[in-house]
Formats: sequence, C-alpha cells, structure tokens
Amino acid sequence: MTLLSLVLILLALVTFVGGQLILKHAMESTVVHGLRQPRFVALLGCGIFLMTISFFLTLGLLQRFDLSYLYPFQGLSVIIISVMAAVMLKEKLTPQLIIGALLITAGVVLVSMS
Amino acid sequence: MRDRPSGFTNPWLQLALSVVCVFVSELLLKRGASDTANPAQAWSWTGVTGLESPLVWLGIIFVIISFISWLYVLRYIPLTVAFPLSRVVDILVPLGCWFFLGEAISPRRWCGIALVIIGLAVTAKPVARLEERL
Repeated sequence: MTLLSLVLILLALVTFVGGQLILKHAMESTVVHGLRQPRFVALLGCGIFLMTISFFLTLGLLQRFDLSYLYPFQGLSVIIISVMAAVMLKEKLTPQLIIGALLITAGVVLVSMS
Repeated sequence: MRDRPSGFTNPWLQLALSVVCVFVSELLLKRGASDTANPAQAWSWTGVTGLESPLVWLGIIFVIISFISWLYVLRYIPLTVAFPLSRVVDILVPLGCWFFLGEAISPRRWCGIALVIIGLAVTAKPVARLEERL
C-alpha cells in the first residue's frame, strides 16, 4: 500500500463518517419540522455531497484492491460513528453498545489484516 | 426510540433491505470496477472510469435504494444502534466475495468474521429486549 492509497482510504472514511452524522442530524430534524424546510434540504445536500465523494474514492480504490481487503477498513467507522453520535448528536451510548461496537470494529479490522 | 410504523415501513425491515442492497451493490461495483480497471489512466484514482461499466450503473441503482431505506432508518433508530447493526454487511461481503467472486478467506479472516457476529449479537440483544417490551 502506498502513502497515496492510505490517504485516499482515510479520506473515504472521514467523508463517510461526516456524511452519516450529517444525514442522521437531517433526518432527526424532519421529525419536528417535516421535510419542507431549508435547513433539512441543506443538511441533506451536504450529507449526500460527502457520501458521493466517499463513494467515488471507494470506487477508485476498488479498481486496485480486493474488495474483501479494502472494504473492512470501513469497519473502523463503527466505533468512530458510535462515539461521534454520542458526542455530537447526544445519543445514548450504553456500555453494551460500546462493547458491541468494539467487537465489530476488532472483527472487521482482523478481517482486513488477513 | 419513538413510535414506529409496521409492515413494509417498519424501520427494522428497512434496515435489513438497506443491508441487502449494500451487499449486492458492493459485489456489482467490485466486478464492474475490476472490468474497467486501467491504472495508467490519469483519473483512475477518482473512480469515475468505473462508470464505463454497466455493472457499476446497476450497483449505483442498488446504492440509491439502500440510501433511501437508510434515510428512513435514521429517522427512527439511533445511529449508535442502527450503524453497528448495519455492519452485518461486513460479514456478508467477504462471504459473498468468497462465494461469488472466488476470493480466498484465511483462518484469521474467519476469526474476524466470528468477532463481528459476536459484536452484532451484543449490540442487538438490548434492542431485542426493548422491542419485546413494546
């Protein structure tokens, strides 16, 4: 793996995590204010933009690496998203959810290292 | 978790639909990306050269379906629960690569898959208990 591919994998991960958090925030806002509000549209657009960048970066990486090797890097997003959702979106993160997220992350990382 | 619709609009069913669509899309994208791989091309790192493959376009359709289901899921289920559960796809993808694309799975990778299954069970258990009470 070259430095460039590592940077691109990390960039795909960061845009993916950011996109998920923004989309969750957008959908939460629809519960109270409905779908027809400028704030929701702006957040949805921002989330889709980040997910699109992540999508194309992943597609480019797929042309060079095995899917079963490359894809599990996204497993790191499990623990990152769980913690970020608790910190930024004030979601409840129980010890059991932390253990579950850590086990999934460990398993996915192990898969990716094989 | 707030009151949820039932039937096809049940968020848990939509979560399953989203996972299946992601799984199918990943296999299609990998096959399409491999078919069109040409590292010599200047823009190949951006992934746009993959758009030459019809399989990539079919994969994109599945991505869009999974995305719409996922948005629906996000409206009802906390991200700390929905996202770890959605990673069941991390087991399905290596297994699918092994089964459909002929990629190898090492013993260490099988151990990783087992850890993910345990993690999913740990995450899903309190949710299942909560659902029973509702």
